[in-house]
Amino acid sequence: MKIAKYNTKENTLLVGFPSNGLVGTFSVSYLIHHLKMKQIGEIEIPDLPLTLFVEEGEILSPIRAYNKNNLFVIISDVPFNQYLAEEFALAINEFCKKNAIKKIVIVSGMETVNQKKDNPKIYGLVTHSTLDGLLYNNQISKFLNGSIFGTDAAIISVFRKTNIPALVLYAECHPFFPDPEASIIAIVTLAKILDVKIDTRDIENKIDKLRIQYRNLMKETVQTLQQQQEKKTRTPQIYR
Amino acid sequence: MRNGDDFRFAAIPPIINSLFDDIEHRILSPLSCLREFDNHWMLEFDLPLVSKKDIKVTFDEDTINVEAKLNEKYSEKQIGNVTKFEYFKKSLSLPGKIDNKKTTAKFQKGRLVIKIPKKVIGHHVKIS
Repeated sequence: MKIAKYNTKENTLLVGFPSNGLVGTFSVSYLIHHLKMKQIGEIEIPDLPLTLFVEEGEILSPIRAYNKNNLFVIISDVPFNQYLAEEFALAINEFCKKNAIKKIVIVSGMETVNQKKDNPKIYGLVTHSTLDGLLYNNQISKFLNGSIFGTDAAIISVFRKTNIPALVLYAECHPFFPDPEASIIAIVTLAKILDVKIDTRDIENKIDKLRIQYRNLMKETVQTLQQQQEKKTRTPQIYR
Repeated sequence: MRNGDDFRFAAIPPIINSLFDDIEHRILSPLSCLREFDNHWMLEFDLPLVSKKDIKVTFDEDTINVEAKLNEKYSEKQIGNVTKFEYFKKSLSLPGKIDNKKTTAKFQKGRLVIKIPKKVIGHHVKIS
């Protein structure tokens, strides 16, 4: 098997949004902070209910773009329903075209089959075989079987039709509770992929407090995800 | 996102508190989820900053009550005011008859998992 060497110098977009365990939210925002990335803009989605966050007097859009060197980041603080997920995916595609992005990496969570596991695993799904080497070189197990819905599926659907390859990293996590512990696995994997050094001690020290602090966002995310999952036939889950 | 010395997340948790924390009594409402299986319900509570010895679980007919004391006070700033929370507390109505006596619970990594067998009530139907 011939493995192409991954070029860390080409423009890469990292995408994070609220999903299972808030893995994408925790890991991508942690990277933004630790790499001292600068905000370069906001992403507007026409049908997104008007939401702004105010932090210490500063007005912030819920979907923001950051940059440092060849790394770009889009992070959303709001979960998306099915229709908004499609618009979000198209907005990402537009961003890629404008910024000459060569590949995108999405960070998400997947329900742990065995929740007794001490070491959550991470799986990768690629839209183009050109990114297979990235999985192989970083010892990421390939996501072989399963169904995907929601924002992940919307982004994959858009990018598999383009010439920009996408990699989705799925960290095993608790699907209904914030899971910063699973996010650490995602951060470590991202650091390897992006060839950057990230110290995870800060998040390790705050795991319990993050689980409390992000309860409302988790609840909102699960409710949004369950609306998208309505047509599935699995055992019904009730979230209270 | 600010790049100060203290680690802060770029992601912003919603200001509006939909979980109805009791600010006056310093009580947090924990996240919980209920999953239905053929013979039992699996009820989970997320209780970070809590020790097993500080958790109290009680039943009141078809309602389950969970209370827990935090190991340390959890401070949260909401619209300018800082509240120091000391407890988790939540009551849930279960959607069916339950068998209290066979209920079991375990606490691991700050998550309380309660397995509640369903009470079987009814008559056998004879199949001819």
